[in-house]
Amino acid sequence: MTLRDALAHPWLTVRTQIALGLFFVVAALPKIADPPGFAHMVYNYKMLPGPLVNAMALVLPWAELLMGVALIAGIWRKTAAALVGVLLVVFIAAISFNLLRGNAIDCGCFDVTAANLTREQRFRDMWMVILRDVGMLVLVAQGLLGASRVEEEGEASAI
Amino acid sequence: MNLRRFLAEAGALAALAIACALVSNAFAAKERRLELPGDYPAAFSVARPPAPVPFEPASAPAAAEPAAPAPAPAPAPVAGAEPKRPVVDRAPAPAPQERPSASPASPSVPDRAAELLARFPAHGQPSVEITGDAAAWLHARGALFLDARRSKDFAEGHVAGARSFPIWEAAVVKERVEALVAEGRDNTLPVVLYCTGGDCEDSHMLAQTLFGAGFENLLVYRDGFPDWKARGGAVAAGRGR
Repeated sequence: MTLRDALAHPWLTVRTQIALGLFFVVAALPKIADPPGFAHMVYNYKMLPGPLVNAMALVLPWAELLMGVALIAGIWRKTAAALVGVLLVVFIAAISFNLLRGNAIDCGCFDVTAANLTREQRFRDMWMVILRDVGMLVLVAQGLLGASRVEEEGEASAI
Repeated sequence: MNLRRFLAEAGALAALAIACALVSNAFAAKERRLELPGDYPAAFSVARPPAPVPFEPASAPAAAEPAAPAPAPAPAPVAGAEPKRPVVDRAPAPAPQERPSASPASPSVPDRAAELLARFPAHGQPSVEITGDAAAWLHARGALFLDARRSKDFAEGHVAGARSFPIWEAAVVKERVEALVAEGRDNTLPVVLYCTGGDCEDSHMLAQTLFGAGFENLLVYRDGFPDWKARGGAVAAGRGR
């Protein structure tokens, strides 16, 4: 068994996708429960035009929830994994941009209440969030690799 | 992966997310409902915490004396989220204490109002930032305090006598602003707004809303509720008014 075979093994792929899906479901629920709190978090990023802040705060958590459920249930899992990857890249870019311009924010990833941290603590947390999201991107890559392998095997068996 | 299939599935997920968001928002309680589109004029403005403002108490005690005819200089006006410092020129700040609510029928109200206006005349700007000492002075003289934080934070603890105006709960705050206007208060009297201090913008956002409703003397307590608690100000819990 090659390394690529091991990394794309269905046993690992299924567990990776379930873990990713659970992450996103758990992240979505507090935001769905408290849209004004999440709108406050989105506003604090200072990256969206005012009229789009509430729309983003309403739609993004449901998108996260649906992607998470799709990954856990194995429905459209390659599409869901790819979209999760896109979201993670956007999150990393948004946090990095605010780090660069010195805007200390709570990320609003799993909790929509202000953490009452100092600016220094917030900056440290932002770095940790970037590291965590990069780690999740690795999971996404594994999920996509595994899903591609399943598709290849399916096409080969059809031929 | 087939691009067409990917786009179709991604589009279906996005459409489902939008539908779920709109339905959940339509049926949400007013504390949880968001207005579409949002209205955030400073959505791209990164607020910087202002430098501390020293409070300079004057020597003359002012707690019991009638209104001084000579007006204090107007506090410096504020533009948006970059407020300038108020000028506070008299009266040492007494220790904060629980105050009776200011009743329009109280015979002391005219004197108290004149005293408040002498120290903090209407500035006609969206807001002016004040220090904790100035907030304590205003609290002791019955100035109206409004809490811009979320209603659950207000219920856990707030400045005694303050009213909850949770700016992020748009439907709630809209009702309360209308009710406040309907009370027929003198719009030139000082109104103190606070949130959590630091880089919290909620009280400035509430000030913008109230300024639009006709209030002309809005004072933002810069360091907010954490400072109030730290200095031993009177605190109450519960939903209040």
